[in-house]
Formats: sequence, C-alpha cells, structure tokens
Amino acid sequence: MNLDKAGALRMKTSTAKSGLSRQTKDSITGLLMVFPSFLLLVFIVILPISLAVRESLLDPNGALSLANYKYLFTDKAMKNNIIFTLNLTVVSTVITLILGYILAIYLRFSKGRISEWIRKLYFIPMFIPAVIATYGIINMYGNHGWLARIVLALGGDSFPRFIYDYNGLLLANLWFNIPFTAMLLSSALAGIPNSLIESARDVGAGKLNLFTKFIVPMTYKTVLVAATFSFMGIIGSFTAPFLIGPNAPQVLGIAMQQSFSIYHDVGIASAMAVFMFLLCSAMGYFYIRSMVKEEPAGR
Amino acid sequence: MKGKNLLVGLIMLVLVLSGCGNNAGNNSANSSVNSGEAAAAAGNAVEPTELSFYFTGSLNVKSMWEKIVPMFEAQNKNITVKLVHIPSGQGGQSTMDRLIAAKKAGETSVDIDLYEASGSDVLLGEAEGIFETVGIDTIPNISKIEASYMTDLNNLAVPYRASSVVLAYNSDTVSTPPQTADDLYEWIRSHPGRFAYNDPATGGAGSSFVVTALYNFLPDEAVHSQDPAIMEQWKQGFDLLKELGPYMYQEGVYPKKNQGTLDILATGEVDIIPAWSDMALEQLNKGLLPENIKLTQIEPAFTGGPAMLAIPAMSVKKEAAQTFIDFVLTQEAQETIVNEMFGYPGIKWSEMPAELQSKFESVAKGYRQFQIGELGTEITKRWQAEVAAQ
Repeated sequence: MNLDKAGALRMKTSTAKSGLSRQTKDSITGLLMVFPSFLLLVFIVILPISLAVRESLLDPNGALSLANYKYLFTDKAMKNNIIFTLNLTVVSTVITLILGYILAIYLRFSKGRISEWIRKLYFIPMFIPAVIATYGIINMYGNHGWLARIVLALGGDSFPRFIYDYNGLLLANLWFNIPFTAMLLSSALAGIPNSLIESARDVGAGKLNLFTKFIVPMTYKTVLVAATFSFMGIIGSFTAPFLIGPNAPQVLGIAMQQSFSIYHDVGIASAMAVFMFLLCSAMGYFYIRSMVKEEPAGR
Repeated sequence: MKGKNLLVGLIMLVLVLSGCGNNAGNNSANSSVNSGEAAAAAGNAVEPTELSFYFTGSLNVKSMWEKIVPMFEAQNKNITVKLVHIPSGQGGQSTMDRLIAAKKAGETSVDIDLYEASGSDVLLGEAEGIFETVGIDTIPNISKIEASYMTDLNNLAVPYRASSVVLAYNSDTVSTPPQTADDLYEWIRSHPGRFAYNDPATGGAGSSFVVTALYNFLPDEAVHSQDPAIMEQWKQGFDLLKELGPYMYQEGVYPKKNQGTLDILATGEVDIIPAWSDMALEQLNKGLLPENIKLTQIEPAFTGGPAMLAIPAMSVKKEAAQTFIDFVLTQEAQETIVNEMFGYPGIKWSEMPAELQSKFESVAKGYRQFQIGELGTEITKRWQAEVAAQ
C-alpha cells in the first residue's frame, strides 16, 4: 500500500517537476515513507519517555528536585527491590543463555529421533500466554501442586518452595525465555556451514577447539542479541512476579505498579521507570555498537 | 383479500420510500422509537422518560441490573432505564469527572440521571455539591434502611446493597471457629502456617484484616477520622501484625489478590482466611469452593461497605430516578440482588423474607464501615515496608 503510494508519488513528481535531481526525489520519497513510523515513534515512545523523565524530576509541589531518585536509592525497601530485581535479572539471563546455547548446539549437531521431537516442541512456551503459564507453574510447583504430591506419595517429606519465592520467578523466567533464545541461537548455528566444521575436524581440531575457535566466534553476536532480549524481557516482567513473586522484596515492575496505582506516587513510579529505561538502554547501546562495528553502513 | 394485499403493498412502499429519504440505519431506529412512543401514547398518554443510569463494577453487577431493570419497567410503563456500564478499572472515575466538569462549566443539566457511587465518590460529591439530597419524603422505602447508614452518608446517597469481609474456614479441621478478633489472633499463634491473608495492596479482604488489626487498639471514633495525626497510634497494631508474621502461611507469605487466599483455602493449604462475603458465597454456590468451607463473622467485625445510588443534582429527571430507587429498595428487587450478587440487602434483614434470613444467618451479623480516606493508602505503604519486608 505504502509502496504503491510512494511509487505513484515518485512518478508524479518526476513528471511534474523535472527540475529536481533524481537523488533529491529519492530522498524525499524515502523521508515520506519513514514519516508515519517516525510519527508513531514520537507519540508512542519519545513523548511518553520524556514525560516520565519530567515527572520523575518533580516533587509533589511541582518543583524540580532529585528527591524521587534519592528515595529510590536510599529507602531500605526500595534498595532491596532494586538489588532483588538486578540479581534475578542477571541470574536468569545467564542461566537462560547457558541452557539456550546448550539446547541450540544439541539441536544443531544431533540427528536422533529425540532431537527431532525436541526441535518440534521446544518453542511451545512462546505461544502460551503468560497468565496461563503462570497458573500452570502454580499448579505444578505449588505447595500442594502436582510435583509436591508426587514427592509426598514417593515418601519424600519436604518440597522446596517455588511459589511466592525467588526460585519460582527464576523458573518462570527460564520458562518464558529459553525457547526464544534457543531459537535465535539455532538460526545462528544453522548459518555455520557443515563443510567448515568438517574441514576443521580434518585438520585435527578437537571438540573444545571447534567450540571455542569456530562456534563461539561465529555466534557471539547472536548471543549478544539474545542476552539483550532476555535481559529486557526479564527486567520488565510483570505477570509472573505479580502472581507468584514474594511480598517483599518485589520486582521493580510490581513496585512501580504499586507506587503508581495504589499509592498514587507518580513521581517515584516515574523515577523507577526511568531507572529501568536507563538499564535497558545501556544494554541496547552495547548491542547497537557491536552491530555497527561489524557492519559498517554501506548497504 | 385483494384489498388487504394492496394495503400491505402500500405500507411496504411507504416504508421503502421513507427508507430512501433517510439513510437506512437511521430509519430502522426511528421507526422503532416511533412505535415505542405510539405504544406509550396508547397506554398512558405520556411520553416515557428515559433514565440514563451510569454504573461501574464487574460483570455480575451488570447482569444484576439487567435483571432488575425489566422488572422495574414492567411496573412503570412511563419510565425506561438506559444502562450505561463502565467496566471496573476503565475510568469509573470519569463519570464523576464529567459531573464535576459540567457543574464547573456552569451547565444547567447533565445526561447522567442516576449514578452508582462509591464511598469516596459520595465524599467528593459532597465537597463539590453535585448530588441531590434523598429522603423518605421522595423515596418512601428509605425507611427500611438502617437510619445510621443514611446519616453517615449525609442523605446524599442510598446504600442499596452491601458486602463485607468475613472469615472463611474449613469446617473439617476447625470445629469451633474464633468468635472474636483476639480469639482469631490466638488461633493463628496456636496453628502456625494455617492462616493467610492476602497482600492488602491487592485486595480488600487482606486490607480489612490489616485495618481492623490496627484500629481494634483505637477508640471507636477513630474509624471515621481522616486526621493524619492518628497514624502515630498504629504502632501497636503493626507490632501485632509483625508478631503474627511467622505464624502465617509458609511463615509469612501473603498471597496476591482476594482470590489467592480463596485458592489455597480450597486446596486445603490453610484453614482460615478473611474473604469477601459475596465472593465466597458465589463460589460456594458454583461449587468452586468445597462444601466444607463455612463463613462466619467475628466480633468486632471486619470492614464492609455498601454500594450506593446517587442522583446528580443537575439531572432533569429526578422524579423518575427517585421512583427507580424506591423500586430497588422493595423486597422483590432486594431479593434479586441478594440472590444474584450474594451480597447483603440494602434494607434491614428484618424486612427480608425469613427463608433468605436463615440462608445468610452466618454472615448477617453486620460489618463496620471505615471512613479513613487517604489513610488507607498509608496503611498499605507501611504494611509493605514493615510487615512484608520484616
């Protein structure tokens, strides 16, 4: 639709105003095509973020102050929330990457019937809504859930606590993020030609050497992409922490919702949002920088 | 025979022609309105008044009104009620904002003739002067309501139903449920891990447990005070909650939402929880809670609250609205409300049929109304910092 329009436009301009050079016309068309998404970006991303930044810098009387940020980093409960969130996010991301990588490598190099089944099934969690998955986790790992009942029936006397605990959140994060990570890494691994691996083997490269000298260097960029996506997804998670997270400390998303809609403390909620945004943009920065370095703009 | 056919044909022609004149969508609406008016004119020779009734709440509230309105319209041919449902969490506040804005803009009338108000709406409405005073002179059935409820609201709104927080317990394991708040605290200490209340930020049942724990140490008048100075006196209550913490479900887990505690009561993980009476009764009725779950109220009672109807002072159809409220307070309508919502009736229990009285006996002891306004938020905040994070 847009393409047609742009094409028609180009034809019109080229017939009507032959004074303009072809390059100028092309760049005008380009700008026109970018414009709708630019507008969307302004109103859906840039404007709300700048409003949140402004809101976070105002005290209740409307004067400029850093009080909200001071509260964020000095209040004991809030400090605990931040440490808890960062801890959970980093640990979840690292485990997600390790497990996702192992899964992807297994799927790439194993040809058995089991791997065929895993290949068909592993991304199912991506298509299950978060709420339903979370209730599934409650039913499975809850205090009186399936696993606890099985353990009890087999003569065990205690079952580790998952629900309303750090463990449960870790579990949920892994559940939600491993499939996507594995999928990204699988496609990167699929890009490594078999001939390369075979020739490396021929000249005597061991499994470890093959992994560190070939596979890692050829996929580390995708690992970075996967890390960025997992990190952002986990730090902003809400559904699972809301339903199965501990009462205190809380994940930042929950603390933010509580400040905003229960305490009506817009300033503090905004400060939290800005803090999270900065964390994510730091991740995004490294990601984009490495992309730009690898692929100089020439296409 | 032939003449009849001709007549039908003519009518069809006229309809088609008028359809050409207007656009088709409008036409069908017009004709139905016309026929409605014609019927009303034939019946009463008065044009029906259309009441715009704005209400908010969950789907059960909507289906309740959809039952009551036809009952009302069948008895009052000259009034029709247009239901405007604003789902909860989707700007119920906006109706109040509209009323206030209309008043501030100096308009003379507003198209909201009846509004289902919450306690804070009534307080706000009182400050802004946007609700009409109601009384026995205009709505005779108000006499059936507990008089103190009306004076608490300064006669600005009519409480037509209520629900309260009660104790829900597993009758298999708890043969004699606690009768008083102190009994309950003692029971919690002697049965570690068998009691849970939900995070007060996520639902009213847990919030009621917390608020009553604080205010049981305070004089009775305190529950109507919104003076921040009272916050000093909460310490004893918070100390109690902190002390009870280790005796809670999993040594201090507070499930999220009112449903969170009901779920673990149903699976048998705990034996007693505070729960909303209407939620628990409805789930018992639908079999979502097992039959061994029973409800009881303790002394002093948990908090509860009414849902209220208020008439905006700027409405031009006040008389019709008064007629409607009067109908809602009849035994017939109240019975529907109790059965549909599993709530308390707005009128006194003694005005209700004996059979319903016995059905709700266990929870009909009443409730306490707290009007502490913004202090409720402060309580949640301090609970989060002191009790949850202890």
